[in-house]
Amino acid sequence: MSAVVIEGVSKVFNAGRADEVTALSEVDLTVGAGEFVSLIGPSGCGKSTLLRLIADLIPPTRGSVTVAGKPAAQARNDQEYGIAFQQSGLFEWRTVLRNVELPLELRGVSRTERRSRAAEMLALVGLAEFGGHYPAQLSGGMQQRVAIARALAVHPPLLLMDEPFGALDEMTRERLQGELLQICATTGTSTVFVTHSISEAVFLSNRVVVMSARPGRITASVDVDLPERDDAARQSPRYFDAITAVRRELRGGGVPAAS
Amino acid sequence: MRWIRSVLPPVLVGVFVLAAWELTVTLGRIAPFILPAPSAIWRELVAQRTNVWEAALASGANALIGLIGGTVLAILAALAASRFRPLSEVSVPFAAVLNALPIIALAPILNNMFESTSSVPRRLVTAIIVFFPVFLNTLRGLREVDPVHRELMTSYAASGWTFARTVRLPGALPFVFTGLRQASSLAVIAAVVAEYFGGLQTGLGSRITSAAAFTAYPRAWAFVVGACLLGLVFYLTTLIVERLAMPWKSRLIT
Repeated sequence: MSAVVIEGVSKVFNAGRADEVTALSEVDLTVGAGEFVSLIGPSGCGKSTLLRLIADLIPPTRGSVTVAGKPAAQARNDQEYGIAFQQSGLFEWRTVLRNVELPLELRGVSRTERRSRAAEMLALVGLAEFGGHYPAQLSGGMQQRVAIARALAVHPPLLLMDEPFGALDEMTRERLQGELLQICATTGTSTVFVTHSISEAVFLSNRVVVMSARPGRITASVDVDLPERDDAARQSPRYFDAITAVRRELRGGGVPAAS
Repeated sequence: MRWIRSVLPPVLVGVFVLAAWELTVTLGRIAPFILPAPSAIWRELVAQRTNVWEAALASGANALIGLIGGTVLAILAALAASRFRPLSEVSVPFAAVLNALPIIALAPILNNMFESTSSVPRRLVTAIIVFFPVFLNTLRGLREVDPVHRELMTSYAASGWTFARTVRLPGALPFVFTGLRQASSLAVIAAVVAEYFGGLQTGLGSRITSAAAFTAYPRAWAFVVGACLLGLVFYLTTLIVERLAMPWKSRLIT
């Protein structure tokens, strides 16, 4: 079963008003189970909108969104996905552990079980000993890891991420990319990842979906086949070939990429 | 070291002001009914310490009950107003009218509504005065929700009540305490001043008026000092409660 199926989806904001905007037009996209798909494109191409449609945070104007075989609204109610944003969005009044517990708490999981599940998730992101800290006591990179642990706490089959590493420095970013890949591999989670970094998209993804703006639509899909995804892969010819291919598509196809 | 640097300047200024006051009164031969010397006020304060203490307890009890009652009502009202948009549109101007009303002027009228030995009118005056700052600040806090938090809670399919309990209320706490800091001092002022208009003669306010009526000005000032200390106790207690209620804030005043 596919993790996400999007068919003929359009999204119009402020329909019928002077400031009407077509954010997405006739978008089709399928994300296979266990697949890591990145959405990339210039600002205003609707990649975040597309992610929010999958998350059922906003409804589509036309078309259908299916997540884990269910309509998006039902998938949201069943917590079929975990989500993380560019801002970690941690609740500053809750300790790190209680932040990770929150989605479990809202699901009615018993106290002892959610304690142990949250502790397990924190261990997964390498923050086992920080459970009792408050978010303000952690660095930006650590806060983002907590947000990822929280997104994974209910063991969702799908992980949605909206530029989760966008506000981090390059070194932290690369380390977290490696950790994210490892986590997705261990948990078998499918991922939809919004970014505007070409190298990030290529390094992480099985497939990079390229979008263009006005109206937002999908213009290309670039498969990335890297045998290993480690630091050596960042130097490999295949990696650079994929980067070149994505860059060419972003420039509007046909035109060769500048060297 | 930092502690000394932050405490020393206000203490020095205070000592200097007191010394200047003392010198002005004694050297300038100012009549005690205009301004008594600090030393005279201090002598009265020591002589009257049990009276000041008991009067402060009586006024303090009224202020505390009014403060708690007004705060609870204000928070409940703010919760309701933030939940139902039309209610908040009506309630804000209504609260503004309530605030513009010279509540102290209501004290004599309220006094007539109850028996002369009742403390209820003072507590009512205090509660009404406390209501406004707590209500407005809490309402603002409840409305200011981080959009990321909103989206997250939507993704968890959280109900309105769960959202209020887990996100809105804790998020509004800093605002509640901003209101409470103003309200705690106001509560003491209201409780003391409400006593100027008759009723029970147990509190600081009635002691100040009666001392002044007997031209015992240093004694009146001694009770004023008592009222000042009571206000400080209320303010500092609020700061401590604030710190206990929000352990995630490392600093006392942000």
